[in-house]
Amino acid sequence: MTTFNSRQRKTTSVVGILILLIPIVLLGMPASGRDSGGGGMLAKLRSEHDLGESDLGQIDPTSATMSFVLLGMRGIAVNMLRMDLDDYKDHKEWARMRATTEAVITLQPHYIEVWRFLAWNLAFNVSAEWDAVPDRYYWVKEGGKFSQRGTQRNATIPELTWETGRVWGQKIGMADEWRYFREYFKNDPDTKTFPNGVDPEINPNQIDNYLVAKEWFQKSNDREDNREQHIMMRALFRSQPMRTQLSYADALQRDVRFITADRFRQESSSDEEAEAKAYAARQANFALSRQEWAEGFTEWTTKFGQEEFQTPGGLIRMEADEDVVHELAERQKDQGATEADLRQWIDHYQKTTNYNYWRTRARAEADESTGTSEAHRLIYEGELKLRSGNPEEARQMLVRGMANFARLLEEYPDLRDEDLTVEEAVWGVLLWSKTLELLGESMPATFPLKATWDKYQGLLPELQERYNRGR
Amino acid sequence: MSEAVIQIRNLSKIYRDFWGRKKVQALNSLSLDVNKGEIFGLLGPNGSGKTTTMKLLLGLLFPTDGEISILGKSASDVSKNEQIGYLPEESYLYRFLNAEETLDFYGRLFDISPAERRERTNALIERVGLQHARRRQLKEYSKGMTRRIGLAQALINNPDLVLLDEPTSGLDPLGTRDMKDMILKLRDEGKTVVMCSHLLADVQDVCDRIAILFNGELKELGTVDELLTEQDETQLLTSKLDAETIDELKAVLAKHNADVRSVTHPRNSLEDLFLKTVRTSQERPGQRYVPSAGDGDSAGGSPEPPAADAESN
Amino acid sequence: MTVQPVSFDLLDGLIQWLVVFAGFVATFTVVALATSIPLYGVSGPKRVISGAMRGLTDFVSISPRRVYAIAMLAFKESIRRKALLVFVVFAGLFMFAGWFMEGDAARPELHLTNLVAFVFLAMTWIVLPVVVLLSCWGLPEDIRLRSLHTVVTKPVRRNEIVLGRMLGFSAVGTLIIVLMAAVGYGWILRHVPKDVAMFCRVPVYGSISFLDRNGNPQEQGINVGDIVMTRSFIEGGSKATAIWHFPISHEVDELKIESRFEAFRTWKGNMDRSLRVRFTLVNDEKDLRVPLPAYEVNEFRYNEVLISRHQEITDEQTLKKSEVDLFKDLLVPFDPQNEVHRKLQGDASAGVLTVHAQCLDRGQYIGLSPGDCFLRLTDRSFAVGYIKATVGLWLECLLLVVIAVTASCFVKFPVAFILTSSIGVVGSFAYGFLLEIVSGKQKGGGAAESVYRLITHMNETTPLPENLFTKSIVAFDKPLVEGLGIVRYVIPDLSHYGTSEWLAKGFDVPWNGVLLPAMAVTFAYFLPCLLLGYFSLRLRELEAK
Repeated sequence: MTTFNSRQRKTTSVVGILILLIPIVLLGMPASGRDSGGGGMLAKLRSEHDLGESDLGQIDPTSATMSFVLLGMRGIAVNMLRMDLDDYKDHKEWARMRATTEAVITLQPHYIEVWRFLAWNLAFNVSAEWDAVPDRYYWVKEGGKFSQRGTQRNATIPELTWETGRVWGQKIGMADEWRYFREYFKNDPDTKTFPNGVDPEINPNQIDNYLVAKEWFQKSNDREDNREQHIMMRALFRSQPMRTQLSYADALQRDVRFITADRFRQESSSDEEAEAKAYAARQANFALSRQEWAEGFTEWTTKFGQEEFQTPGGLIRMEADEDVVHELAERQKDQGATEADLRQWIDHYQKTTNYNYWRTRARAEADESTGTSEAHRLIYEGELKLRSGNPEEARQMLVRGMANFARLLEEYPDLRDEDLTVEEAVWGVLLWSKTLELLGESMPATFPLKATWDKYQGLLPELQERYNRGR
Repeated sequence: MSEAVIQIRNLSKIYRDFWGRKKVQALNSLSLDVNKGEIFGLLGPNGSGKTTTMKLLLGLLFPTDGEISILGKSASDVSKNEQIGYLPEESYLYRFLNAEETLDFYGRLFDISPAERRERTNALIERVGLQHARRRQLKEYSKGMTRRIGLAQALINNPDLVLLDEPTSGLDPLGTRDMKDMILKLRDEGKTVVMCSHLLADVQDVCDRIAILFNGELKELGTVDELLTEQDETQLLTSKLDAETIDELKAVLAKHNADVRSVTHPRNSLEDLFLKTVRTSQERPGQRYVPSAGDGDSAGGSPEPPAADAESN
Repeated sequence: MTVQPVSFDLLDGLIQWLVVFAGFVATFTVVALATSIPLYGVSGPKRVISGAMRGLTDFVSISPRRVYAIAMLAFKESIRRKALLVFVVFAGLFMFAGWFMEGDAARPELHLTNLVAFVFLAMTWIVLPVVVLLSCWGLPEDIRLRSLHTVVTKPVRRNEIVLGRMLGFSAVGTLIIVLMAAVGYGWILRHVPKDVAMFCRVPVYGSISFLDRNGNPQEQGINVGDIVMTRSFIEGGSKATAIWHFPISHEVDELKIESRFEAFRTWKGNMDRSLRVRFTLVNDEKDLRVPLPAYEVNEFRYNEVLISRHQEITDEQTLKKSEVDLFKDLLVPFDPQNEVHRKLQGDASAGVLTVHAQCLDRGQYIGLSPGDCFLRLTDRSFAVGYIKATVGLWLECLLLVVIAVTASCFVKFPVAFILTSSIGVVGSFAYGFLLEIVSGKQKGGGAAESVYRLITHMNETTPLPENLFTKSIVAFDKPLVEGLGIVRYVIPDLSHYGTSEWLAKGFDVPWNGVLLPAMAVTFAYFLPCLLLGYFSLRLRELEAK
């Protein structure tokens, strides 16, 4: 028989097991996610060939290995880990919480809701627990990156790309700390780790967070072409990339408040030069914003507006005049579609997606004939002049701004009672009245925007307070 | 032959179940003595109480009633073990140790110094003939080898009293012969040996005295000669006789004057005795051997009548 | 969360132990005497007493050689039963662990925390079950195979068997732990990022007290809505103050205060910076206050404040500058009558230093816990901390071996294993819960009541309806809970053994607060367990099946 004794046989077996383990380790190691191309052979191949969950089925090597190691008790293990996760969160043990998050996802790499929850938890809950803004940003990033990894592991799921877009778009752009976050997104506060200023994993091209978000939402739409999403009404979901473009244009306007001379002081020889540079930068920002509004309008009306959605009343389009309604009804006669039904459904969808508001707003903001962008700029610059003690210059700017604004309201009656527009109009007039006060003049009987001013006197106390508070 | 190494008085053992109910009466009022320097055999069928007696002697079981004095000490006194060697029924040894380690381990338990241990280990391994397998783990041993190492460990302390439980069980004839020789040698060295066995030939060959137990009761006790000799009969052994002569002889015997070559008592084989004892016990339960007052009973008076004792339980 | 200082009084513990131990022995004796009379009649008590005397002689005449032989036997048995195969599991775990222990470039120090935590978690979960299994298995198996017969027919005392087994399995545990700790250490070194400093802080903790926003003394600050209140908060821009008293052992040129506070904003405030905190050194007796420069709360990280021996202060009225000496002017001599001083752990021979902490941002809060602020002495090396943490695990292993061997003396393997692991699990994870149940703080009642509430979907805070059934349920639970109250004293609080927690968080494992109590607990269990094991083995008929 064999010449081996018992011990030799056993030793041979153990050595054999160890040797066999080596290829498992080499093949099965998960991608690190932080540097592409990391991880084991399978992970590399998967990323090379763009294979996600649907292509590989349930054969996720890491997770399968873990399930095997746990003898099929994955559910129990995950349950315990989730309890740990909550516990660590309550005790503010962030390092452990983060590690446990990894452990959970390793065990459940294809549970979409788990990815979504964990990503949201990091970006929204954990980040809020920290005090310093760079710390908060770090955790938002952790959440977003986590979600991004989810999209790689689950290559066809629209929800995860959407979640990623939400973090990079809404969380970065709309949080209380948005002005820091937006800046950090292009220039990471962790300069030690990211000497090039940007975290290449999330924003390799160093562009605006909204543009990155828009790409993710676009990816979601591409995925959604083949696979249903379960987050929200389809039309709303589909509108996200175009809607983000509009948010981007809007954010560019908001940014202006933080483009101050301070920023240019170092590279300038004098205060005046710094002021001039800031002024130019703001001007450029407004100009860019206008362009982006224009782009937004095009996308909103041509891409989103032309897309057809199935409703109980038949296929509809957002961008729909009478001709379109007629044509749609004509086309779907066989299915029993009527113009009245279609009109009703179009109206319903437009309201849900706020289609018309954004359509008007984008067109107005981009409109060069009314000079809307310039109106915003002049009112803002006027305010700066007023506050820096130049009532005369301020008045000139404000008058021009008010004129533009009046033209805007003339041209776009829909905006005459729209909150933001009205508020800015009244604000502009209020600033102008302050310059008059300083210059010792009184308000003339007629002036641009008088109708709005008269109609919305109710806004004054609040705006007056804003004025007194300073910026 | 006077000094008693073991004195057992009225020893009873009842096994009870978990609820304390009587399950088996394993031993019923046993009394016997073992003298110094003899080989004493405990004989009986399976379940007769041989092993129970031995375990009671060693303190592995606690008696329900009665007293034991072993080497002048109580059975529950651990220090008595210093002079005792015990070979269990199936050598209950550690299978993951090898022969040397086994002997060394038990040597340590006797607090023997390292040099002494080494010496005795070597001597014993040689004595039981396991030189070739001294480094092999016991789990690789055959039955015979296990018995040998079992005997060796029982002798590691050079004991005065050796208790052997079924020493030859499972051995082949050659092994049995070796074992018997070793037992006899122990006696020659002046040790007292108590062995129990159901293999009659073994007992007959080596034992000086035997006790026959059945159903927990002592049925016979005495030297092998005493027990196997029929006192009321005479056996003639003659040269070959023809039929006529035999007829004549019968006639002559009636009148006397024949050539009688040998006149002896007929001798039973132990097997005959054993079977007879068992049979009688089955026919007339309750009857048993009661040692007379002169039978080495120095400790107490004569035992209680057996029947009364049996019923009291 | 930070690691919190633990106070432990060895003498106090020893006295308590002696009382409990004596109580157990007394109870045991009384019960034995009482039950011996119906069993053996008048000779019963005599038997008990002679049995106890024999026990005493058995303990006096323990032979080290025999104990060593039994210990070596247990050790060899474990090794030859392939106990070391656990290393295959261990090695496998470490081969794969790297997959899931992804480092984070931005927070490398957290990575070290995770590595340490993982190594100790792995060691704990591999070593302890294996050692408990072996320990529970050994004796019952020895009895079942009757190999113990051969042993007890030698002049071996039963206590030598129990002790030998305990030592033998402890040796196995020790061997496994030493090897695993070495592997784990190498693994940590290999995986830890290059730029992470590995060291162990040596903290001197003080006692903490609070002043509320009006300057009135308080035990605690405010809870700002945390589910688990590890820190209490003080309001900024008010009189709210956290006060520390630190024991100072000897004079040095520079003291280092390290702190790690939490920030809580009630409004956005200035987002460009974190909330600010100021420390003030105070000597109330001399009415001396030395404010230190304010610093920003760098949340969830450690902030160092260096205090040099000589501090310059400016008188508020006269604006005159003067110099104070930290040790001569600011320290208050240790006063044994002073309640605050008496609470201090550590050597206060040079005096007691009082430090006030206040938040400077109006309307915002900072959160502090007793362990959040400490004097940092010279660091120890990571290796020292690692060894100490391993010692903690080792002591836990010893304790479980002691309990397991004892249990295996009177019950069979499965029961012994369940018993020991239950004690281990309850002691490590549910000790607090146990105390809550016993003290009645846990809502929802005992076992029967909980079942009732589960079945009827009744909230645990809802009072039970008044009827005979619920009354009987409560009556049923009462003795159970009270029984648990007694059992509680038998179950060790294994939280003392959480030594790796300190190392993982970058701290030296404190001797007085952690290692000493761990040793004390292990030893406290050793002697009673040895006695219990001895008597149950001696009073047991080994042959009876």
